[in-house]
Amino acid sequence: MLTMGVDIGSTACKCVILENGTEIAAKAVVPLGTGTKGVNEVVEIALKLANVQRSELALVYVTGYGRFNFPEADGQRSELSCHAKGMKFMVPDVRTIVDIGGQDVKVLSLAPNGQMINFIMNDKCAAGTGRFLDVMAGILDKKTSELGDIDAKAKEVASISSTCTVFAESEVISKLSANVPLPDLVAGIHASVAKRVAGLVFRAGVVQKVAMSGGVALNKGVVRALAKEIHSEIIILDDCQIIGALGAALYAFQEIMKQKNKE
Amino acid sequence: MTEIAVGDQKAKIKKPLPKSRQMVNEQTAKAYADAWEAKKNHQPIGWSTAIFPQEICETFGVPILYPENNAASVSAKHMGEQYIEHAEGTMRYPINICSYARLNIGMADVLDDDKYVSDPKMPRPDFLLLANNSCTQLMKWYEALSRNLNIPIFFVDCLFNYYEEEPSSHKVKYVRSQIENCIKDLERFLGKKFDWDKFLEVQKISQQNRVLFNEIVELNSRIPAPMSGFDLFNYMAPLVICRGKASTTAIFEELKKEVLEHIENNTSTFPGDEQYRVHWEGIACWPNLGFNLKTLKRYNVNAVMNGYVTAWDVAYEPGDLDGMAKAYQISSTNSLSTPTIMGKRVESMKHFGCDGMLCHVNRSCKLMTFHIHVGREMVEKELGVPIATFDGDQSDTRVFSEAQFETRLQGLVEIMKENKETKEGERD
Amino acid sequence: MINMKNIDELLAAFHDIATHPGKQLKHYTDAGKKVVGYFPIFVPEEIIHAGGLIPMGLYGTQITPTIAGKYNPIFTCSIMRSCLELGMTGKYDGLSAVVMPMLCDTFRGMSSAWRSGVKNIPVVSFIHPQNRKDTDAKEFLADEYRALAKDLMEKTGCEITEKSLRESIGIYNQHTKVMNEFVAVANEHLDIISPVVRHEIMKSAHFLEKKEHTEMMSELIKALEFLPKHQWKGKKIILSGILAEPIEFLNIFVENKIAVVGDDLAQESQQYRTSIPLDTDPYASLAQQWLNRKGSSTIHEDKSSRADIIIDMAQKTGADGIAVCLMRFCDVEEYEYPFISEAAEKVGFPVLCLEIDQSTQNNEQSRTKVQSFSEN
Repeated sequence: MLTMGVDIGSTACKCVILENGTEIAAKAVVPLGTGTKGVNEVVEIALKLANVQRSELALVYVTGYGRFNFPEADGQRSELSCHAKGMKFMVPDVRTIVDIGGQDVKVLSLAPNGQMINFIMNDKCAAGTGRFLDVMAGILDKKTSELGDIDAKAKEVASISSTCTVFAESEVISKLSANVPLPDLVAGIHASVAKRVAGLVFRAGVVQKVAMSGGVALNKGVVRALAKEIHSEIIILDDCQIIGALGAALYAFQEIMKQKNKE
Repeated sequence: MTEIAVGDQKAKIKKPLPKSRQMVNEQTAKAYADAWEAKKNHQPIGWSTAIFPQEICETFGVPILYPENNAASVSAKHMGEQYIEHAEGTMRYPINICSYARLNIGMADVLDDDKYVSDPKMPRPDFLLLANNSCTQLMKWYEALSRNLNIPIFFVDCLFNYYEEEPSSHKVKYVRSQIENCIKDLERFLGKKFDWDKFLEVQKISQQNRVLFNEIVELNSRIPAPMSGFDLFNYMAPLVICRGKASTTAIFEELKKEVLEHIENNTSTFPGDEQYRVHWEGIACWPNLGFNLKTLKRYNVNAVMNGYVTAWDVAYEPGDLDGMAKAYQISSTNSLSTPTIMGKRVESMKHFGCDGMLCHVNRSCKLMTFHIHVGREMVEKELGVPIATFDGDQSDTRVFSEAQFETRLQGLVEIMKENKETKEGERD
Repeated sequence: MINMKNIDELLAAFHDIATHPGKQLKHYTDAGKKVVGYFPIFVPEEIIHAGGLIPMGLYGTQITPTIAGKYNPIFTCSIMRSCLELGMTGKYDGLSAVVMPMLCDTFRGMSSAWRSGVKNIPVVSFIHPQNRKDTDAKEFLADEYRALAKDLMEKTGCEITEKSLRESIGIYNQHTKVMNEFVAVANEHLDIISPVVRHEIMKSAHFLEKKEHTEMMSELIKALEFLPKHQWKGKKIILSGILAEPIEFLNIFVENKIAVVGDDLAQESQQYRTSIPLDTDPYASLAQQWLNRKGSSTIHEDKSSRADIIIDMAQKTGADGIAVCLMRFCDVEEYEYPFISEAAEKVGFPVLCLEIDQSTQNNEQSRTKVQSFSEN
């Protein structure tokens, strides 16, 4: 029995097809966010990979920023719960989840049984999100995905204040013109994100195991900097981007089981 | 609203407001009309902070209006931006000060300018009544008004309770002294003698009104609640701007009757199915009240109780001036330490059967936000219920985000749902 | 024999104290002294001093707080956020207590935030009367100061007597005198007393026992008076606000050859505007000092004298302009900026508005503004 989870984010769409609530039959990521053709594209790609038709899906759940604008879905859940569910599936003893998405940062606290008991999200107008990294990468004329490898060569961590993306932007530009080496700059940007995020993690409480989800988790530089700030190992999965979609697919499966038990 | 089909078109008929609400609207309209009437007759009127000892001018029979209440009304009607822009622009006030202040300081600067239209409109004040129990920014705001309008301030400095203990006698003495001197100073300014007998009567009415309001709020502890907790944001107005008037007694008696009827008939003013009860912490997001209520309803959440309305529970024995001084000194959420306030919240949440707490991180209100930040772990430890925060502002429309509010509310509901299911599972 | 070398040594000593308060704290605690921190702006240090304790000022530092955000909202002033961060990360360990005045809303919040975040350093809170013309204001404050003393004695185990308090008041009045002397003498030696040097001298007052600092200041003044007066050729400016830091910010004035000839800064000259009048009851003396204070955004005045004080200072010192160093999120200062700037501009002084924020180090906007001022 197949269920599908779709995570419509601000900067990317993700899709997971789950078989019998245990096997990932297909997963896909399209770097186009809500309101674009990314939604339909990612569903089509996943269906093709799993070699199934839409009609074969028992239930489709949607999550993410654009979840209210996907009429094909049978139901929707907040990305908070979906990230918790998805991560618990992949890392059974996870208790703290850090998700740095495009628009916001969340830290989820889970009970030993996987239930989400608390969540802390970023203060308004705070740098440290994926958007912040995109803006910084743009100034450095790099792809965001390249940032993770660049700071490995840093000799010093440039100081970038992180209160506001706009001001951090002008700081990076002036340091660029002062010929601060690129690896040092990138290390500074990553440290800036890490400090911001670490504050939220401390507020929620660091309980082992700690894992990261969301696209920024693929940035090794940020992960390194964050692990240093919170004095803890952080589990990164290759599939960290699809955790939300996985959680939605799991919720869809759970719902079907609940209906079945009622009968 | 109810829809009825009329031919091919659906006509929307607005459900009539309950009698108590109509009475509130009439009372507010009269408060403004009295002030305008006084102005027409060259009689002085005052502007006052929200928790100033209203008994004084009520006794003098001088109309008083409340800029904070006015700012809330104006911004709920989405008419506040023009004044805020004026304060931030021409008048150079930094954007970080309280938005009520920006709105009102901007408004006070253009009182005679017909280009600025808002409702309800306040006439130019002749004097100001300042009590800083709500916050220190009020003091700076009223200093600006005094300077810009060239009118005097009558000040009752209510200090602040930084520890959890009862206010010490030297504090009560100072506040009482100010109340007495304020009366003397107003006698001179108004050219009127203060009627101490009438004062006693006003005190009695004020206490009666306070007690009635508490009784009504208490009725909402019933499960399910007979009122949408958001109604309290509307019904607090009489307590804020007419606390010492008999018309408030009439309103609350009517409201109490209506609520008891709801209990009798097992109905409620909450426009949905109450599945979750939450405590709302912080001031209302006045420009976004409609959206907040609609969204809460969609998720079957009734914000049955909020801490904000308890600030006007100014309790004292009529005739006891020391008691009255102390009451004003401890009245506001912002005049007490976080452990004191959160202690009250914990008791209240237990009593009202709250499954969670929804906190408005109000950009304009540092004090309430401090309470939320510092108090969060105290409430979590005592009650083990989930707490969610969202960003907003009491009158600046640029801060609140509908998507953010919905996401965080949904997250809160998902935890409350799991908690409920776990509890029910344990019971079975 | 006073020579430049002595002055350099003195200035180096002031620099060291101003930039290493932690070292100074350790110096006192190693010597077996108890140190009590005091928050800005007006705390009766004399009461702390009378208990044989060393009062040290807590003015935060240039850091981006990481964990203070748990208790302090992000839209509160950066001094309090950095102070809380320092407290929560153990950087203030060694202090026996801290004294906190309830001068603004952020302080109201901090009085609970500190107790949650820094459990190992007790806080002694107190509040000033803002309705100073009330007939009971003075007696209230004298009683509040007595309660403060009692609280401090309980939390630190020290002993404060009326006799020791009278002595401390004498020491502080003497210090106030010498600081005002310095401010006047400094303007005759602006080649040596640059904006950075001036700031470090003023700031160091918060980190030394007052008698020690008075001695250092007297030496400095003597040394300066020995030198020929210097005619400053560049522009002159008055600084107004809570504080004007960090050094990188002050260097913008140095770069543009602008001298600081007076200040209306809470951390600096505002401390020395009002001496303590004498009274048989030393607590009443201190209370009267509060009633006499003028020109601070944290003190209510029926008709604020602050604009007049700044304009008067600018006129007397021949300043070319005024720089309002506006502490971001300091609401009491933010309310005063419009009327200060308008009043000064009305009598012909250009007014710069420069943002101060301890959590960011971006001075680019300030640099541009100051440069434009110096060019015109």
